[in-house]
Amino acid sequence: MALRVPVNLRKNLSVVLYAFQALSVAAVIIGLASLLLLPLDEYSRRTYISENALLPGQVHAYFGGSEQNIVRAFRKEVAELGNSTSDVVAFRMAEIFRSAGLKVGQQKYSYKAAGGEYTGENVYAVLHAPRGDATEAIVLCAPWKNIDHILNEGGVALTLALSRYFKRWSLWSKDIIFLISADARAGPQAWVDAYHDLHGANVQSLSVKSGAIQGVVVVDHPGPYHRFESLHIMYDGINGQLPNLDLINTAVQISRDQMQLRTDLQEMWHHEDTYRHRLRTMLRGMVNQALGHSTGPHSSFIPYHIDAITLATHGDGWHDEMSLGRTVESVFRSLNNLLEHFHQSFFFYLLMAPKRFVSIGTYLPSAMLLAVGLTLTAIRLWIDPRSRSSTDDGQAVVKNAGEKGGDEKKKQTGDQAATIPKPIDGGPKRELFLPLSVVIGVHFCGVIPFAVFNTVDYKSMANVFYIFIAASFVLPMILATLIALTTPPRRLMQTFHLSRCFSLLFLGMFLSTLATLNFSLSFLIGLFSLPLTFARATPTSTPIALMNSILLQLTSPFAALFAVAGYWGLGVEDVLREASFGWWVWGMWTPAIVWCVWWPAWVVARVSVDASFVMAATGKVPVGA
Amino acid sequence: MDRRCLLVIGAGILLRLVLFTAFPSLPTTLAQRVEISTPVTSYKRLQEGIYLYTHGVSPYDGGVFHQAPLLLSLFSILPPSAIVTNILYVLADLLSAVSLVKIASSGVATVTPQHVSPRKDNSWPPWATAAAFLFNPFSIATCIARPTIVFTNCIVLHAVAAAVQGRRAPAFVSLAMASYLSLYPILLFPPLLLLTYDCSKTSPKPSIQAFSAVTTVLFSTVLMIYFKLSHLLTGSWEFVASTYGVHLLLPDLTPNVGLWWYFFIEMFDSFRAFFLCLFQLHLLIYVPGICLRLRKQPLFALITLVGISSIFKSYPAVGDTGLYLSLLALYNHVFATMRYSFFLAAAVLYATFLGPAFYYLWVYAGSGNANFFYAITLVWSIVNALIVADALYAVLRDEHETERPELIGKDVVQI
Repeated sequence: MALRVPVNLRKNLSVVLYAFQALSVAAVIIGLASLLLLPLDEYSRRTYISENALLPGQVHAYFGGSEQNIVRAFRKEVAELGNSTSDVVAFRMAEIFRSAGLKVGQQKYSYKAAGGEYTGENVYAVLHAPRGDATEAIVLCAPWKNIDHILNEGGVALTLALSRYFKRWSLWSKDIIFLISADARAGPQAWVDAYHDLHGANVQSLSVKSGAIQGVVVVDHPGPYHRFESLHIMYDGINGQLPNLDLINTAVQISRDQMQLRTDLQEMWHHEDTYRHRLRTMLRGMVNQALGHSTGPHSSFIPYHIDAITLATHGDGWHDEMSLGRTVESVFRSLNNLLEHFHQSFFFYLLMAPKRFVSIGTYLPSAMLLAVGLTLTAIRLWIDPRSRSSTDDGQAVVKNAGEKGGDEKKKQTGDQAATIPKPIDGGPKRELFLPLSVVIGVHFCGVIPFAVFNTVDYKSMANVFYIFIAASFVLPMILATLIALTTPPRRLMQTFHLSRCFSLLFLGMFLSTLATLNFSLSFLIGLFSLPLTFARATPTSTPIALMNSILLQLTSPFAALFAVAGYWGLGVEDVLREASFGWWVWGMWTPAIVWCVWWPAWVVARVSVDASFVMAATGKVPVGA
Repeated sequence: MDRRCLLVIGAGILLRLVLFTAFPSLPTTLAQRVEISTPVTSYKRLQEGIYLYTHGVSPYDGGVFHQAPLLLSLFSILPPSAIVTNILYVLADLLSAVSLVKIASSGVATVTPQHVSPRKDNSWPPWATAAAFLFNPFSIATCIARPTIVFTNCIVLHAVAAAVQGRRAPAFVSLAMASYLSLYPILLFPPLLLLTYDCSKTSPKPSIQAFSAVTTVLFSTVLMIYFKLSHLLTGSWEFVASTYGVHLLLPDLTPNVGLWWYFFIEMFDSFRAFFLCLFQLHLLIYVPGICLRLRKQPLFALITLVGISSIFKSYPAVGDTGLYLSLLALYNHVFATMRYSFFLAAAVLYATFLGPAFYYLWVYAGSGNANFFYAITLVWSIVNALIVADALYAVLRDEHETERPELIGKDVVQI
């Protein structure tokens, strides 16, 4: 016998409504709180090497001794070429690789984005494995200029020296590709696109190729000769994808335990493994992941399911390029041991210290709970009786039903009306057409800023952006006025109510999908979208509407853009140029998501809030407000 | 057909043509989606078959092509241009929309000889039903990706449109064609028979036994003719094993939105035959029950069977669900009694977005695995099953309320 619920929930909707409200608030609070708990020892874990074949640090690294003279000679060579053009550099590098007995390829590329042109020439050499069959390869990459546009003297010299050094060993079972890319942002992308034959006409094809790339290590040791203090490991890929955790663990273990080199993550130079430092490392990682941009040459490889990291030197200490060389050698010996592609360890994680992480199972609930909070609010708005048009008497109901039918059919004849006293399902109805078309229409409008910001020139970027802010400020006003003036008062509140409901439903759905692809972006957009759950049309209280309006302005996509620009100390036009460059060169989705998911949801919320002012100003008081 | 119908159909056709011309790479991109193209409907495989056929090799050599031979002859007489092919697919959708308008205008959804819905005044006009098909994202994506299921759907709709007008021969010749093309429409034979019988206008109505005997003979004769034609075209009976055998025995385990592929990947070989029988029988057992219970509304029995086979058949795609949802729009007058409409709509949306995301994580990013996508296909199937069940509840309640008008508006309570 089933249990009978003492209260009929269909009749007592307020119980359900309060339950939903409480649940959505609880979901948001728990979601936020659980993220702050992650750095604690109880929730995060120590990293460990999952793939037994790697055996990190189990071999002796022999790079040293007289090799140091070779590195210094190459360093001088690189420094002399410092001001040369890309093709001169490529020619000279190719010569050096050829003299070491390697097969050499060169590749020109040119990208256009935000009115600028990005050209260069990559040069690379393939060392065929003495014990391999050219089906697998590992890449050692050094950008000619690093991500901060500083000449990568040490990194390039080391790569050249290592290419001669590796050639002497007979133990390689995977081909080794030495890549010197012209820059750190477009060059690696052009090369990896062409390696997989997915390049456009603006990028040359590769003349020499090897097997499937198993791993990539980028060395970044910029500037004139100096000793360094610590290794900065960079791992964020395009669109927030990450390399396998095993690769990072291998690099950390080798540099720490074998080379006594300190490792840093996310520019945390003085990490003391306290709660505060762990949290800050994690949040910095999340910001990088959310932006989905390239943090180094390794980022371009990760979308191809190639695990890649950048080893950058930092500070002034007692280590010299020999330590870096031995670290690279040891990492390559580990990669050489791999029997199959990295698959054992985690692909979704947040690192909070070089040896501490949380995996997806622990952190995903917090982003999901934010999305669930939005969805629960949407469900609450749907079952709220205010989502149905308020009617005073049965007459309106019949009229309503007739309208819904579209074509004016003849109403019931007399005898039918006698058998059926009132029309079936004739209660208050939800008018879906207007709210749905508002929400879907605004979502389609999101294509406009996306297209405009990806085509406009860098010089006019700032102006276009300010015009667009003004347009986004006016558009909700116009929409709200149009709806308020054309819709009968009976259905007015309902229209705003339902458009909020659909908008939140879509947003919740997009964010939960996004959480599986790029957790951080989903979490941050969810965080900024929290005011959307309570910003509603309040025609009776202008102060509340004013407060909601200010809150919405503070959490708008524009505010976020200014925040990002402030975080890096750049102008807003630089951030937009980066976004445009990211879209055209790296295939970065972040701008698409901001303009086509977040901005529309924000506009729909603004429509509801602005409608309060419009209704207050016109004195049009809706029924049931 | 009034002006609004023409307007809606025109807009739907225009939308498809615009999508075809404005985004030339879209058909290829969509055709690679496993959610839209299956091994038995894929356009890419069809091209492979046509290539082999026109070069004098048996199209079934190589085990890639699993579609009916008459499709080959249709496509080999067409000029090999993408525009002509696209127009053919758009025309198929046009015909589907016209059929839906015919079905909606006949009013069979609300008034049958045994049942008059008390909600018949609430139903949408025919143009809204056509719009529900033409602007359904699943139908649009299916049309653009050009799987051959577009033709099957079109022919099924044509058969139903003929049936509601009581035209037996066109209805069953079409159904035979649909069954010939993709096997599972044969499950619709009993409800279509009842529907045609109910709608036939011959004045001394024959008994149902005589009617069904004649129809069965007609249906099987036409089917035989199609088979013989195919035999003449390809010169062997090889096509039977390569098309229907694939539907029945599931040799190709490419992922799709259905429930079979993962299950049979995991299956030990010794149990394979048993579970194949079980899965096929499972589809079959719904037919008598649903036809008997919904005897008063055979059109809804047919729609429910379309819905069930779109969930449980061996190679389902979103095109099947698109067909079911478009047909379900004919019963819009009972939507008000459905209990979970908002929840189900939201869940379909969620599954539609999460499916490609998880497939991406599995196949491209490499950071997920097959379980990710399978979990979403489970959700998708559960949601579709819930839609079928909820629509069934709504229609049965509608029937019940004609018998017991005093229960209108009362809640159903489980005791």
